[in-house]
Amino acid sequence: MGKIKISIDYSICGDGNKIDPRSCAICMKVCEPALFLLHQSLEHYEKDNQYDPQIWRITPLYPSLCTLCMKCVEQCPENAITIKN
Amino acid sequence: MCDHCLKHGTAGKWYLNAKNYSIEVMDEFNQDEDSLKEFLMEQYKTFEAMQVRKIAGFSAEGLGYKIQTPIIGRIVKHFAERMLHSTKPKFNPKQAEGHIGQVVPLDDAIAILENCVDENTIIMKYCMCRYQSRGEKEACCINFGVMSDIIDKLPRFIPEPEDSKYRLTKEEAIEKFTEFNKKGYIGTIWYGAFPYINNLCACKTPECAGIRPRLDFGIKSIFKAEYVAQNNPDNCQGCKRCLTMCQFGAISFNEKTKRTEIDQSVCYGCGICLHVCRYDAIEIVPRQVIPALVGKY
Repeated sequence: MGKIKISIDYSICGDGNKIDPRSCAICMKVCEPALFLLHQSLEHYEKDNQYDPQIWRITPLYPSLCTLCMKCVEQCPENAITIKN
Repeated sequence: MCDHCLKHGTAGKWYLNAKNYSIEVMDEFNQDEDSLKEFLMEQYKTFEAMQVRKIAGFSAEGLGYKIQTPIIGRIVKHFAERMLHSTKPKFNPKQAEGHIGQVVPLDDAIAILENCVDENTIIMKYCMCRYQSRGEKEACCINFGVMSDIIDKLPRFIPEPEDSKYRLTKEEAIEKFTEFNKKGYIGTIWYGAFPYINNLCACKTPECAGIRPRLDFGIKSIFKAEYVAQNNPDNCQGCKRCLTMCQFGAISFNEKTKRTEIDQSVCYGCGICLHVCRYDAIEIVPRQVIPALVGKY
């Protein structure tokens, strides 16, 4: 079995775009192994060393724990998640 | 008794040594209260992002696959453990240096709250782990010491009034912790940067960022408790209640004898199973009375 790759489209979700992951977080709640991580966007933090506490994103932190149940893909309201196996 | 307790406990467990809860313990590191506050403030400001920040070219992202890689995996594991077990002075608040903990059963946790902690500094805050991996807020972390001074600057960790009071008295803290323990949350005590203890958590797997590295990736991020659960097959009625409580998968049901069995080499000694047993069939015994488990933390 190859490596599982989970990707989130950050132009839709997080990084200050359309969806604020802190208020949605559906994928994190349905994920049984809880492999997602909700955190401050480092890109905005390290670029100009200006930390904006209001810009957050979700990173699929431990894809190796994914059971391929596809709940997050199905339940994402903006279809921002794709999983490749 | 492990090496850690011999070094940092007073002829006993390291977490029952009241010195480790006082700010004076930072003296040998040439750090005082203000520098520790500054360090923790910087760390907690972007606490959730700690796991995706690169340290020497490596972050925890995709850790499972990195650990599986033949040689690199062992290097990653070695450096992660060295960082977590670090006993050197801390300068970089952007990594979890010296953040090591141990599972504590209810009685020990109550002893900590009663004897070691300064009553006026007990606070309750939202669990960071549950927030960063589930997006939900649950007030269940008990902190003390300098954290009570900096919590006001970290509004996202302060519980809403309907969830919990956030400055607790000793009795309230014990009551809350007992409630969580009975609910099935594992009690854990943590260094908030070695050698200063400031965190008594009620953890739940798989969300807990402290227990997960050990359970899923074999990185020793937390010690097992000084105790281990032992069942008494004579009293056991095979009701399977304890089976549902164990978060480590140490309890199994034997279909032939119709009794539950505890795999003591897997048991973390959290004592959660005790709360649901109605037949007095489980007890926790010190780890060192079982020869096979001496020194296996």
